[in-house]
Amino acid sequence: MSIYGKYAAYLPQILDETMAQIREIGQAYQEKNGQKLYEHLEGRVKGEESMTQKCKKKGLPLTPESALLENRDAIGLRIVCNFIDDIYTCIDLLKKQSNFKIVKEKDYITDAKANGYRSYHLIMVVETPFEDVHGNKPGQYFVEIQLRTIAMDTWASLEHEMKYKHDIKNPERISKELKRVADELASCDVSMQTIRQLIKEG
Amino acid sequence: MKILLAEDEAQLNRVVTVAMQKSGYEVDSVFNGQEAVDAVKKHPYDVIIMDIMMPVKNGLEAVKEIRATGDKTYIMMLTAKSEIDDKVTGLDVGADDYLTKPFSLKELLARLRSKERRSEDYNSKQELNYDNLKLDLNSQELSSNNSISLSKQETSLMRYFLLNPGKQLSTRELFNHVWKEEDETEDVVWVYISYLRSKLQSIGAHVKILGEKGGSFSLTRA
Repeated sequence: MSIYGKYAAYLPQILDETMAQIREIGQAYQEKNGQKLYEHLEGRVKGEESMTQKCKKKGLPLTPESALLENRDAIGLRIVCNFIDDIYTCIDLLKKQSNFKIVKEKDYITDAKANGYRSYHLIMVVETPFEDVHGNKPGQYFVEIQLRTIAMDTWASLEHEMKYKHDIKNPERISKELKRVADELASCDVSMQTIRQLIKEG
Repeated sequence: MKILLAEDEAQLNRVVTVAMQKSGYEVDSVFNGQEAVDAVKKHPYDVIIMDIMMPVKNGLEAVKEIRATGDKTYIMMLTAKSEIDDKVTGLDVGADDYLTKPFSLKELLARLRSKERRSEDYNSKQELNYDNLKLDLNSQELSSNNSISLSKQETSLMRYFLLNPGKQLSTRELFNHVWKEEDETEDVVWVYISYLRSKLQSIGAHVKILGEKGGSFSLTRA
């Protein structure tokens, strides 16, 4: 039996619909402004195995309630933007959607993590036609969204490689270099943002 | 500090060397300009003390040759005459300071201490602070809540603001300070002010650069 129970079948559909809605937002923005709102969009339903491990680690019972309410990243999306201000534009547009309700935001861009990680994290509740864990239909599901620039995304991939390789000989050195390069990438992101502003001002 | 002394009078050379060694400096002593040039090619020095009137090669020639190799070591000339021309020539060929003979050991040692202070306390003080803002000149990193890297020119501009907080600095002054030697025009100042403003904001600094394009700018607490 899946940790997601009978809700397992709904999750990919909710993911698809949410992504489709965000694509529409992107298209409408592009038609209006002639510029891409984001560079690419990706999404996933957290695997059974991975969700089970996470619940075990947190000492939660292996139930759909744990998987869908206690954890709020069963459905996850990532929006990767060209420029920093596009991220904030995306967030504004997401907030305007009547079936999305943002319940938590964490700005790791203006408040980067100590290791250099930068991204904007938000959790929203989406209205769906499907029944939810509370038995409501139409039901509500949590969706986690990470927004970042291409540079932040590249950095996160590199950091991920280090995190999951356990036999690194000099982890302190690599961490230090990752932190340094994160600050350099942030510098480029901010500089490009500034140049964009200078172009706009003419 | 490691010092090279070039002085042809054996007695004086000996006295000065011992006095400097007693003050804790490492001293190499040579007796003419050619030996000085050769020593500089082989060893690193923090200060070179160079007599002008020397056999084989005089001090002025030696300084010229040392500078021609691109060496920037601090050089103090010792001049027997108190003639202005001698001092001017010495400074113009690349010396940084001079002492007129006869000089007092006390004064020489005080000048060395002054030089040491300048290079260690002032120049190698690699960190500037203002409110919650920190600029690390070594790593070219600006930080408050977060940190962010700066380019060479951004670092130089930010450093100038941090050394002169609250003062009105004109576009011209900023340009002359940061870009004087470069093939640039004054409109570069506004671009770099814009970079610094964005970067200050991105790290959550409680510090702002006030001012309008083309005018004067000042660093203040936000």
